[in-house]
Amino acid sequence: MNIHEYQAKKILNRYGINIPVGAIAYTPAEAKRVAVNISPKGPWMLKAQIQSGARANGKFVEKNAGKLGGIRYITGRKDIFEEAEKMLGSTLVTEQTGSKGKSVSKVYVEQHLTVKQTFYISLVIDRMIPCITLLVTEETTNIVDAVINKPEKILRINLDINEQINNNQINRIINFLKIDKKYAKNLKQFVCGIHKAFIQLDSTMIEINPVGIDAKGNFIALDAKISFDDNALYRHNDILRLHDDYEDEDRVLKAAKYGFQYREFNDGSVGCIVNGEGVALSIKDMLFETDEKMDCFLNVKGGVDKDKISAGIKIIMTNPRVEGILINILGGFLRCNLVADGIIAAASEVGLNVPLVVRFEGTNKDEAQEILLSSNLPVLMADTMQDGVAKLLKAMKESD
Amino acid sequence: MSVFLNKNTKVLVQGITGTQASFHTQKMVAYGTKIVAGVSPNRGGTKHLGVDVYNSTIEAVKATKATASVMFVPARFVKDAIKEAVEAELETVVVIASGVPIKDMMEIKAMLKGSKTLLIGPNTPGIITPDEACLGIFPENIHKKGNIGVVSRSSTLTYEAVIETTRAGMGQSTVIGLGDDMIVGTDFVEIIKKFHEDNNTKAILMIGRQGGMYEETGAEYYAGLKYKKPIIGYIAGSTISTQDKMGYAGDIITRGKITTESKKETLQKAGIMVADSINRIHQLLENLK
Repeated sequence: MNIHEYQAKKILNRYGINIPVGAIAYTPAEAKRVAVNISPKGPWMLKAQIQSGARANGKFVEKNAGKLGGIRYITGRKDIFEEAEKMLGSTLVTEQTGSKGKSVSKVYVEQHLTVKQTFYISLVIDRMIPCITLLVTEETTNIVDAVINKPEKILRINLDINEQINNNQINRIINFLKIDKKYAKNLKQFVCGIHKAFIQLDSTMIEINPVGIDAKGNFIALDAKISFDDNALYRHNDILRLHDDYEDEDRVLKAAKYGFQYREFNDGSVGCIVNGEGVALSIKDMLFETDEKMDCFLNVKGGVDKDKISAGIKIIMTNPRVEGILINILGGFLRCNLVADGIIAAASEVGLNVPLVVRFEGTNKDEAQEILLSSNLPVLMADTMQDGVAKLLKAMKESD
Repeated sequence: MSVFLNKNTKVLVQGITGTQASFHTQKMVAYGTKIVAGVSPNRGGTKHLGVDVYNSTIEAVKATKATASVMFVPARFVKDAIKEAVEAELETVVVIASGVPIKDMMEIKAMLKGSKTLLIGPNTPGIITPDEACLGIFPENIHKKGNIGVVSRSSTLTYEAVIETTRAGMGQSTVIGLGDDMIVGTDFVEIIKKFHEDNNTKAILMIGRQGGMYEETGAEYYAGLKYKKPIIGYIAGSTISTQDKMGYAGDIITRGKITTESKKETLQKAGIMVADSINRIHQLLENLK
């Protein structure tokens, strides 16, 4: 789960991390009002709150939002209202959002701080070791290029799960970034703060880009991103409350409610229901060579309840872009007959008006096939994944 | 011979009294698996499905000399259950549950270091040695004894891979699901090594997927082997772009953007034959004959 910058900053502040004074605003008038409270004369930073990096270099889809990106430097009070009005309700596309972009429903107004030095810092899981890795670089914009072309520009420090940050590691960061040695104590407090937050909150990533060092040697988080481990959210009710439903598509939310994974690609006509993401990926690869593409898939892995499965199947059946459905279940833990029952329940509620091909294999396969064949549904049965794809394409062509 | 599991392996089931555990315990027993004990707190001294139940793993191991365990406990209790398994010095532990918290997994990996226990999973169908024993939730009826070692990082594609060996008229020596979770107990390296030591395994089928670098480390290990059994590989997810990211940290960790294409290239460079579709694997297998 991801959260917004303003939420991340508030959390980090609780761990002793300095942040600029700021407030959230949902309307241009509110933006102007909070700006005056933050700093009577400015200047201010006005920041679009969408869950994505690279907002400053992003572009708005709407022309009237102006050519500037999602992070704007503002000097006059009047401009706060105008610029907030341009951004709110507009769609921001960044290199991390995909071409659809994300709609801006709130802006964060902050005091603008003058800093003498900036750098990038993050904590992230390296799953291959596995450990928590601290990443530091003086690059704050073309970071991925630096990784590929100038790996020496990035300092990596691997931390065991039970390891604390020590002075030696702080000195390495000081030397690497050429930070004034007399600020070592402040840096240590800063790094230990984010490390503590990372571990206590079951985070998978904390990224501060940039950190600013002011004239007095204070380290300030000028931006902040935090991602959390979805599987550990049960231990963090306070974090779970921060979830922004508007960041997710409706169908994704619905599927998540039943504990299923749903993913949309928006560029096809085939909807798939599978158990296991790998199966969905394989079918997508197979369809890629054909005329039809995969539009979405629902992964009902772990489902053991007929009603839940039926609710999940309805998500695919009611997607208006879906012109054909392929259900491929390799029953192990999940028994095929449950899925067969779920298909019949879903179809009787929302109707089935597109071709449906089903392929069962594994646990209770025969029973499941029997259930479907004795129902009155126009279902085609397939023997293999490839056969399923072929039968579906043929049926879709015929129904055109 | 086989890898990790045969008909004489003494197996215990952790969390045996749950509904899912009961269903699959019956299937495992019917398949011939030597299930010697079950563990369920506060149910010690009773019998469940004809199996003796103990309060703790340590008690169960002491009484039965079990060496392997399959765990049906929910994700949030996996860490404690593995701690018990490590203390009881079990050799092989299979974790079926999906979604074990990442922090727990890092602590689990730290516990496993230097221990006698090998963890398969989480989020895996388990291990099966056809016609001998099953440690997990496999649909047993698709398996057949043979000489192909199957190892997969995508749980349900494991079954698809097995079906491909059958289509090629071959069977499997042992089938192992590494698990679908972000951090897993055992990687390709360990399994490729074991399959090379196993006389019954003549060739290996390796199923990977986008995300992480498990396939790369496996390929790297294989490239360095002096004596090589043929490996056929497949990577799911070539047509997926990784959109909707948060921040740069992920790309920095993997030292640049890892794609399915780059994975395939790494495998091919190591001498692994890569199938471009899962349902074409049987053709590559037939070429081995």
